Amino acid sequence: MFAAKAKKTQTKLRDTVKGKQYRFFDAQGVDELVSICMQMSQELWVVKERLATLEAVAAKKGIVLADEVEAYAFTPEQRAVVDEEKQKFIDRIFFTLREQSEALEIGADEPEGPTLA
Amino acid sequence: MTENVNHDLKVDYTRDELARQHFASGLRSYVLNSLSGNMRTVYTKKVEPAFKKKNKRAPKTAPEIHKALKPETIFKFYSAMRCNTQEMCFRSVIPGIEREAEDLARRVKILGQNTEKAQGTLTVDPKLQIPRYVSELDVHLMAGNYHEEHIPDDVSQGAIFDNGLSVFAMGFLGPRMDDITQSVSTYFTKRYPDFKPKKILDLGCTLGHSTLPWKERYPEAEVHGVDVGAPAVRYAHGRAQSYGVTAHFAQKDAEHTKYPDASFDIIYSCMFLHEVPKKNIRAIFKEAYRMLKPGGVMLHYELPPNSMLGAYDSFYLDWDSFYNKEPFYKAFRDMDPQDECAAAGFKKGKYFQYTAPSLNFYGADAIDKAVADAKIHTDGENHMGRLVDGVQWFTFGAWK
Repeated sequence: MFAAKAKKTQTKLRDTVKGKQYRFFDAQGVDELVSICMQMSQELWVVKERLATLEAVAAKKGIVLADEVEAYAFTPEQRAVVDEEKQKFIDRIFFTLREQSEALEIGADEPEGPTLA
Repeated sequence: MTENVNHDLKVDYTRDELARQHFASGLRSYVLNSLSGNMRTVYTKKVEPAFKKKNKRAPKTAPEIHKALKPETIFKFYSAMRCNTQEMCFRSVIPGIEREAEDLARRVKILGQNTEKAQGTLTVDPKLQIPRYVSELDVHLMAGNYHEEHIPDDVSQGAIFDNGLSVFAMGFLGPRMDDITQSVSTYFTKRYPDFKPKKILDLGCTLGHSTLPWKERYPEAEVHGVDVGAPAVRYAHGRAQSYGVTAHFAQKDAEHTKYPDASFDIIYSCMFLHEVPKKNIRAIFKEAYRMLKPGGVMLHYELPPNSMLGAYDSFYLDWDSFYNKEPFYKAFRDMDPQDECAAAGFKKGKYFQYTAPSLNFYGADAIDKAVADAKIHTDGENHMGRLVDGVQWFTFGAWK
């Protein structure tokens, strides 16, 4: 989150797939819930992998992290960075909901695939 | 992960981004192994017996199996999770490319100017009409496809495909993700050792990972790659220069290349035709016939046609055509490659097909053995080689 390379200026690329969305479940909203759960599990994994790295790096330096973490408070500047990252985190988790509306805007004229007779 | 992007266009990802990619690869492996196995079990133990009971016979076709499986919860989860994982593979590589888009464009230019290691060229045609089957569709759920441009001299979509493919392939396609063409071209040179091509063309070349292996097989030959996506050919040019392989990339439509008649000895494509509508495939074959010298060869690596597979395997492959934004894939696999070659002007007896074992998995000895096995069969040119289980690549073609 605080890594310098994540701070560079960015070109905005499109991350939503255009055109109509695949749907598999009969009940409304279930496809979206599957997407959200998958994103959530991905993000949880990112945290677990980062924590494992943190523990390993700290241990290498002879620091027992658990007590330090409990006692620590973010500076206002750090808090702002964390809050901004949290908003990006939420956008990733609920990506499927944004994609639906963006797909409608940009994918009106795509060729049809085969139909199941 | 993106470890297979091991050239000068490598993107510097943060640890969290790498963890996200790592997870996408792992999830994909879970979906393609565990979930897909579970789905097959549900089919064999539940869906097929129920079908037999009702219809007094087993399902005969892929669409019958598809229809019978579609209401099953396992089909819905397999499908929903596969689509989401597919998007996740590409989406997990985008943030780093957004940061480096301008720098990547700059690096491609520098690599192109450095003619010490390689002397490849790049030709971009800003007036090229992007075919509708590319412009209107995010093929295999890759946002932006191969052609969308965001900044001047943009290579982002090439970078998304390269990095996304690395997450997607999980090392399966070899260290440069070129195992298919490495295997297919190695088999070809061993099977036809007297053929000495001078000029080779790769159609729909994207990153050039299907183009460069031909230069390794035939170092004396001039090797070209074309694609309709400007970001793809720019990226392919930078990648080739970085690897020190001289190849010439141009933004062209394979249907109307404007190359002279009888100018190439090999015209090849890899994983290209199944993304193309039937009428365009036919036009591409005719254009290939026109561009080939007499005695030259047209060669395509592809997914095997439905006629070669059982009903369940056909259903399993056709899934992508329905749900993975590859709408022309099923129609292509329903075609007879031999008939299509004949319709483009190739004489019927000049058709051949083979299945090359993966060089990455089994090594050159396996290819030697497959070539030797193919030669001892009396049906000669049409013999499939060893149809063993495992990683192998189906290829068909015709001599002019």
